[in-house]
Amino acid sequence: MLRPAPQYSVNPFYWLGALTVVAFVIQGVTGIIMMLYYIPSPTQAYSTTQYIFQNVSYGRFLETVHLYTAYAMIMLAFMHMMRNYFVSTHKKPKEIMWLVGMGMGFVTLGFGFTGYLLPWTVVSKSATDVGIGMIDALPPPVSSLISFLVVGAGGDATELLRFYDLHVVVLPAVLLVLLAVKMYMLETHGVSEPVTGREPLPENKTRLVPIFPDMSLYLLELAALFGAGMLLISALVPLNLPPQYTPELAAQTAAQPDWYFLWIYQILKISIFEQSGPLGQAALTVALSVVTLIFILLIILPFIDRGPTRRISKRPRFVTVGAIFVAELVVLAIWGYLTPGQTIPVEQAALVLGGIALVIAALSLGLYRLIFPRAAAPKVSAKPSIRTAQLWNGISFAALCGLGALAIGASVDASVKLVLGGVSMPLVEYLVISILGLGLILIGTAYLLYRSDLGSGQIKRRVGAFEIGWSEE
Amino acid sequence: MNQANRMISLLLVLQVFSTGFLWTLDALNQVSEGIFALFVAVDLLAFAMVSYIYRAEKLRASPSRAWVLVGCIILIAIVFASLAIH
Repeated sequence: MLRPAPQYSVNPFYWLGALTVVAFVIQGVTGIIMMLYYIPSPTQAYSTTQYIFQNVSYGRFLETVHLYTAYAMIMLAFMHMMRNYFVSTHKKPKEIMWLVGMGMGFVTLGFGFTGYLLPWTVVSKSATDVGIGMIDALPPPVSSLISFLVVGAGGDATELLRFYDLHVVVLPAVLLVLLAVKMYMLETHGVSEPVTGREPLPENKTRLVPIFPDMSLYLLELAALFGAGMLLISALVPLNLPPQYTPELAAQTAAQPDWYFLWIYQILKISIFEQSGPLGQAALTVALSVVTLIFILLIILPFIDRGPTRRISKRPRFVTVGAIFVAELVVLAIWGYLTPGQTIPVEQAALVLGGIALVIAALSLGLYRLIFPRAAAPKVSAKPSIRTAQLWNGISFAALCGLGALAIGASVDASVKLVLGGVSMPLVEYLVISILGLGLILIGTAYLLYRSDLGSGQIKRRVGAFEIGWSEE
Repeated sequence: MNQANRMISLLLVLQVFSTGFLWTLDALNQVSEGIFALFVAVDLLAFAMVSYIYRAEKLRASPSRAWVLVGCIILIAIVFASLAIH
């Protein structure tokens, strides 16, 4: 019997995983209907997909909902993972739940990868071929195993059949088993308490709510809202089937993966990884190893982040790393979408990715000092005027960081233009002005941080020039 | 009948109407497919609102007027948009 859930879990953020399962159920229902018509062979895959679009009742609607719900499933799984990361639900005793969740995340990505090929369009086939080509750059035992699993003996027919089998049999079965394990663990451990910093929680938040009917109705409400959202998007932006795959057409098309793999695609487009010959092969292996390392770090996170506290205020480093991770993924994906088939110069990649990491780190750590200025100090009730001052400080700091990002961008832009286009007076002026602007913003930021710390008595070396108008009272 | 019950009754009538309307659509027409999606969305939204009002009533707390108003506006907008397209 499912145990009652506390009142604080009546919150959509607690149900992101459940919504991912709802998306999976919609995928299952729409997928089974499409299976009645689809034939997984290179000669018939496209024509049967086209048949579903044109001759099956609400066929285009089915295909559209199936695709958009798949996107939503991947997005919800990612949001669920990042939410769990930020509120530390991966910590003891839920390490294994995190591992199972990561497994489910990989299966979800597997659904996306295998399902993308099935319509046999020029876009889907070309992108899948690029993905399969990347497998060869992995270390031999891994590449052989993955090649055997997804490509089989080789050839289009075997490849499509393998992808189809994985998509409709193997991956759903694995996901259902992992889901059962995760549900069992959730029943064992219960849901995690929120990390509000105001523990113990008030009684009205910890009151237990029965699963039937209250919690079930709440889940159905969320599922209905999610379904309605998917239907609205499907109605507003119906899917159109791209042209059929032919080798001739594929040669004229820039292969681009779906959005959830664009970040990997963008990393692999960096010029250093696109060289030909053995050096290029070695560089590609390094790039794929970096991507693999990111996944490994995510998997073993509960064994790295072992601190006892779950509070965001006490985990600035992990929260900052998480924020940088999300920002880099988003930027890489958007950048990849905007520059299909273009090689990215390595200096540009380093400047953009490094600059973003720097800005996010500065913003995050600065906001930490402003929002949680005395997290470790004994609690004192701040007067409203001090709170208002902190709020103004926070807003000014965020504005300065935004301007700082612009100044960094301008400096980088000027430097790149100077290197690529040669020295010219307007460019030098542009560079000097942007660096001066950046310097002023840095001084402004330091000043704000100093002023915000004046009341705490934690400043070791006082600077008189920064204390104009400050009174010790 | 209190206000919540009246609201639930209206939403149930809307659900019956939109479900009945679905049967009048041409299943192979692209425009009808869009209208079909919109009316199923109306059904789902109405269900979510009924469930929300029921849960709030059960807890002896009145449902948030703001949420109910937002839901009603979205429902009316979708219904009129669908009928206009039709």
